[in-house]
Amino acid sequence: MSKGELTRKVLSDLISESETPYTPDSILREFRATDDKRLSVDELVGILKTISQKRPNCDEVAAEVKQVLKSKDPMYALLVFVKRYSEDCLTPRSSLKNSEMATVTTPLQTKSSIGASSVPRTSLAEGSHDSLGLPTSTPVVNRKSDSGANAAGRSQGNREEDRELGDLSLMRERLLLGASNRSLSTFRPPPTEKSLKSSSQKTLVNPPSAPPPTGVPEESRTHSLWDFNDVDGNSALDPEIAALPIESQQNELLTQLLYCFTGIRVPCIVPIPPDPSGGLSSYKTEFAIHNQVDRSLAELVRKILPLASYFVGIQRMVADLDGQGQVINALNAALTDVSHDFYLLLMQAEDELERNELTMQKLVYYMQPTLWVMEEIWTTMFGLQQGELRGAAVLTHLHGRIKRLEGDREAQKVIIGLMGKAAEPYMRMLQLWIQKGVIVDRQQEFLVEDYEEVHCNQLPEHYSDGYWEKRYTLRRDHIPSFLEKYSDKILRTGKYLNVVRQCGKRVMPTQQMHLEYDPTSEQHVSVINEAYYFAARMLLDVLLAENDLMGHLQSVKRYLLLNQGDFTMQFMDACEDELSKNVDLVLPMTLENLLGLTLRISSARDDPYKDHLHCELLPYDLVTQMSKIIKEDNKEEYWQTQDRLDLSGLECFAFSYEVKWPVSLVLNHLAISKYQMLFRQLFYCKHVERQLCKIWKENSIAKKFSPQAAELYRSAFTLRQRMMNAIQNLEYYMMIEIIEPNWHIFIEKMQAVENVDNVLQLHQDFIDSCLKNCMLSESSHLNRAIFKLCKICLKFCDFIQRSQRFFLDAELKSMVCDSSDDSSDESDPECLHRPQLETSLDPADTFSERVKRFDLEFTGILISFLQKINIMAKKNTADRFINLVHRINYNGFYTDLMDKLCMKDALG
Amino acid sequence: MPSEIITLQLGQCGNQIGFEFWKRLCLEHGISPSGVLEDFATEGLDRKDVFFYQADDDHYIPRAVLLDLEPRVINTIMGSAYSKLYNAENVYLSKHGGGAGNNWASGYSQGDKLQEEVFDIIDREADGSDSLEGFILCHSIAGGTGSGMGSFIMERLADRFPKKLIQTFSVFPNQDEISDVVVQPYNSLLTLRRLTSAADSVVVLDNTALNRIACDRLHIQNPSFSQINNLVSTIMSVSTTTLRYPSYMNNNLIGLMAPLIPTPQLHFLMTGYTPLTSDSDVNSLQTVNVRKTTVLDVMRRLLQPKNMMVSTGPDKTNHHCYISILNIIQGEVDPTQVHKSLQRIRDRKMAQFIPWGPTSIQVALSRSSPYVQSNHRVSGLMLANHTSICSLFERALNQYDKLRKRGAFLDQFKREDIFKDDLNELDESRETVDCLVQEYEAATRANYLEFSVKRASEQEDPRTPDDAKSVAGGSG
Repeated sequence: MSKGELTRKVLSDLISESETPYTPDSILREFRATDDKRLSVDELVGILKTISQKRPNCDEVAAEVKQVLKSKDPMYALLVFVKRYSEDCLTPRSSLKNSEMATVTTPLQTKSSIGASSVPRTSLAEGSHDSLGLPTSTPVVNRKSDSGANAAGRSQGNREEDRELGDLSLMRERLLLGASNRSLSTFRPPPTEKSLKSSSQKTLVNPPSAPPPTGVPEESRTHSLWDFNDVDGNSALDPEIAALPIESQQNELLTQLLYCFTGIRVPCIVPIPPDPSGGLSSYKTEFAIHNQVDRSLAELVRKILPLASYFVGIQRMVADLDGQGQVINALNAALTDVSHDFYLLLMQAEDELERNELTMQKLVYYMQPTLWVMEEIWTTMFGLQQGELRGAAVLTHLHGRIKRLEGDREAQKVIIGLMGKAAEPYMRMLQLWIQKGVIVDRQQEFLVEDYEEVHCNQLPEHYSDGYWEKRYTLRRDHIPSFLEKYSDKILRTGKYLNVVRQCGKRVMPTQQMHLEYDPTSEQHVSVINEAYYFAARMLLDVLLAENDLMGHLQSVKRYLLLNQGDFTMQFMDACEDELSKNVDLVLPMTLENLLGLTLRISSARDDPYKDHLHCELLPYDLVTQMSKIIKEDNKEEYWQTQDRLDLSGLECFAFSYEVKWPVSLVLNHLAISKYQMLFRQLFYCKHVERQLCKIWKENSIAKKFSPQAAELYRSAFTLRQRMMNAIQNLEYYMMIEIIEPNWHIFIEKMQAVENVDNVLQLHQDFIDSCLKNCMLSESSHLNRAIFKLCKICLKFCDFIQRSQRFFLDAELKSMVCDSSDDSSDESDPECLHRPQLETSLDPADTFSERVKRFDLEFTGILISFLQKINIMAKKNTADRFINLVHRINYNGFYTDLMDKLCMKDALG
Repeated sequence: MPSEIITLQLGQCGNQIGFEFWKRLCLEHGISPSGVLEDFATEGLDRKDVFFYQADDDHYIPRAVLLDLEPRVINTIMGSAYSKLYNAENVYLSKHGGGAGNNWASGYSQGDKLQEEVFDIIDREADGSDSLEGFILCHSIAGGTGSGMGSFIMERLADRFPKKLIQTFSVFPNQDEISDVVVQPYNSLLTLRRLTSAADSVVVLDNTALNRIACDRLHIQNPSFSQINNLVSTIMSVSTTTLRYPSYMNNNLIGLMAPLIPTPQLHFLMTGYTPLTSDSDVNSLQTVNVRKTTVLDVMRRLLQPKNMMVSTGPDKTNHHCYISILNIIQGEVDPTQVHKSLQRIRDRKMAQFIPWGPTSIQVALSRSSPYVQSNHRVSGLMLANHTSICSLFERALNQYDKLRKRGAFLDQFKREDIFKDDLNELDESRETVDCLVQEYEAATRANYLEFSVKRASEQEDPRTPDDAKSVAGGSG
């Protein structure tokens, strides 16, 4: 750490400690200023003194700095000042806290009723160091053994060093004694008071197997401090209490009581061994009061004794819970503050006692509010302990208590204070998450969990479908109840920020937020909301504005949903030959080239996203793709399947649309597959329509035929028209009645979209609704029927095209005959020409018979298709399939046929 | 380049409506009269190259061929602001400039004589397009040039470009007023024969109906040519709107026409348009014609005969029906409304359909030009194949028969080559048109598939088809 940094750090620590309105920079500025602008020596020292007022050695340091200032450069003086405090700063945070605790004022104190005592604090604190090293240092030591003791020692300054050492050694001995007891007891469950007692006697014969005192785990050492053990040096207390006069008895009893409150065994107030069954009893102590004690005094003592029980119980629980996660630790720290206040109260009492001003009544009066508070804390803690609550559950529990204490202002205030402290680390995590999208959570307490392995850069194509859902998840059982309602927002906030960061943008939170728990103002709610809206808007902006999601979707709609009809037509023109080959013979490069060409010469050339479009030959047909998508959802393996069917290029062809992160969040692989399914069906229908149009044009030559001859082909023409009608209506239905309205709705909803999850949901709804209503869902086998319908149409086209040659020859020749022979019409071109024509086609069938067969087949397929839709529509009235029936059967042409089929079905 | 369409304008009428048509297209695509793209029109969401191509200097030039035998109309065009728009090489005026004298035969034989020069132009234009889809022919059937020369060119086109579509916008004469062209019935009949046999689809623009609409619906007492032509150009431009502003369906001419025409003969389409407003209405919003329109409104109005651009006369037996319908709807349309409107029309039986095949109202939702302001939320054009169109042909037949019985005005026909030997051509044309009428009549019946044409001379005795040859042959 460089000097500058160190200085800054020390200063900022001091500033935050003292809660003064300075910043490290402002102080540095003052010290760096040139002579004429600089403040006076006293003012500078004053600044330093204010920021270091919390430090015990503040005055000495200030004096030293003042000396330095007189002779040297102010910056030098500042460095000296910093040096004095830098050791404190570099020691771990906990010790710093302890040293803080060793000083008097903590924020909690002012809040809690304990601190509301009337005696001036500072003087008492000074006094406490002099008179009673023992009680104040106890909590310090019990938390962090060595370093804690050191820090405490250091913080108390040098002047008391000798005395301090004495105290420390005394304490250490006591500690070790207690610790070994405890460690023994933990080895022999269940611990009974008896065994504890006996072991306390056996301490001298410390078994060699027991770990050396310093190596004993802290928790086991500290816990035994609160077992009302005998402590050396208590010998001054006289058990012969009855022998004393009532005044002295009261004083003696008061002394003992005060000791008892701190968990030290005293002769007159003996804890009754707890019920070995554990549970409640291990944190609650009943006391037996020496029977020689004056009755009235005993009654008073009895009144106030639960305080000892609660306090000690709390301390035990604190000890038991120590190190069980950040929240618990923070709570323990807060409780330590409470104990500290309690000690101060005891000190006041002791002070008065020494001045002979304390009576038992007075003590009861003083302690009554504290008793209530302690009881409340104890109950709360006991609930924690019983439920083995950790992390968020602790907060939930505390929150619940606060809500329950609505009537009891004082107690509620205390618990709120505790909660505020306990929630601090959690709120810090929360803040970090909603502000920066970072999780620092070693104990797995936070409500959001990060699965790092689902990482976005590893799987360039497939990542996003899983990424969005799986990278960050909520730990449902780790949500504090007061955040329950906002958990979703919290999750999204950080998630969005992460996505934004992955887009290569810096996440710069604009507002400075401070998150802390406060049940009254619900301030955290507004902070969370603000952060959420900020993140949501930011990602939306990134997605919609910077990456033009809607433009991409438009493009996808244009190409994959055939919205750009002229492009589709041109592409089909260009690729017709290539795609009519077997799929194994189709050259993807050729297709890609033709696509590029078409894109450049069609009206798509102005589309900025046209280069995202590519050709893809899928190794399976539409039905297979459908079943795969629906069955396995988005598992990886199925994209490479084995069986190559004997398919034409057309059946396997699909466009693909490649997009980069973050658009791929929406247009992910699965979504594109769904678009492709729609595309394939539409494309196939379009192809059939084109073939039908083609034979329409070829057939239009029949205008030139003699009217009599035209009659012959009419059945073929009308069949073609029926096919055209069916296919076109199917297309119209899918495009105009399904895709376009759904798109319309989608766009409309997108106007009011709030966050990206919304976008994803809307988009998915759009595409799923399209798929379903275009009969591309597995449950209905309608898609197969469509495919069959298309197939028969194509076969028919093929047939007509083959026979065209023949009847063209036949008819035109007959017309030529007509005019040349002057024997107008040969009355029966059938007799002359048709037989030849038909034999050449198929020896068994005449042209009209074959048309008739096509007719029957086509009608059969169509009617059963319509019928199927009818049946489905009856089952589920919400579907729009029925519209297709209405369209195809608009003038009721198929009604009779459908009824007939219905009858047939009914008859069996 | 996609599915280009070459427009041929023939004769006085053809050139006039063609002129209006191009004016309209320029307006819609934001092309200035001189062929330069306007600054505001650079978005490029439309397909200009169907009807235009770009010259080396990026000027847009219509794929149009202007033909006439007399210079009056073409001179007007070339004297207008739009003179620079056209490719001057595509404007062909016959050298002598004498016109066809309202004589079909004259036009026809002049077409024959001039065919080389004319087809030089057409071939060049066809070669200039990558995948020519077809031709659109604008003409009237009553005059001389449009009908006669048009007939000739149509026939040649069909031979020369058998794979290309031929669509015509044919103006039928006004029946309400006495024509100054006495041989109009001959001209009409002869042209009708070619429209039947050579064109793939014919959009009938009936002057009778157009005038009636101008009077009744637009409240113009004596509609001028330009007012009528304004109507026509609207129809022409809207009917091609799906080609120029492509969407899901009907993006090429064949996709537009094929579904409408079930059998090759039944290819005469009528049109309807709503809402109808004249120029003055467009300028002032406060008119009776401005009203809130919905899809259903539009579709319902389109089915009303008074909005049809063909006057079919009263259908006394009420047996005529729709063979097919395509509605092109433009404007702010909620696509979810389409189905509801279709259902309503179906439920209320607002339209009568053929009994011999499935048919329905197809609705194409089309974008419209962003550069042309319209004060209507929604507008619609109907292209329909309706059997009542045959009343037009019947009327033509009747008039022809009247004239023919008297043998009137045949001299000027006999002067031309085609009638030099005999008047077979007239008889054959009559027969063709008669067959057409019969076919349309038959299409109203359920047994259309079994229908067979009866020769005019034997309609009383349908069971002797074997004699037909001698009778038909004998009439020649």
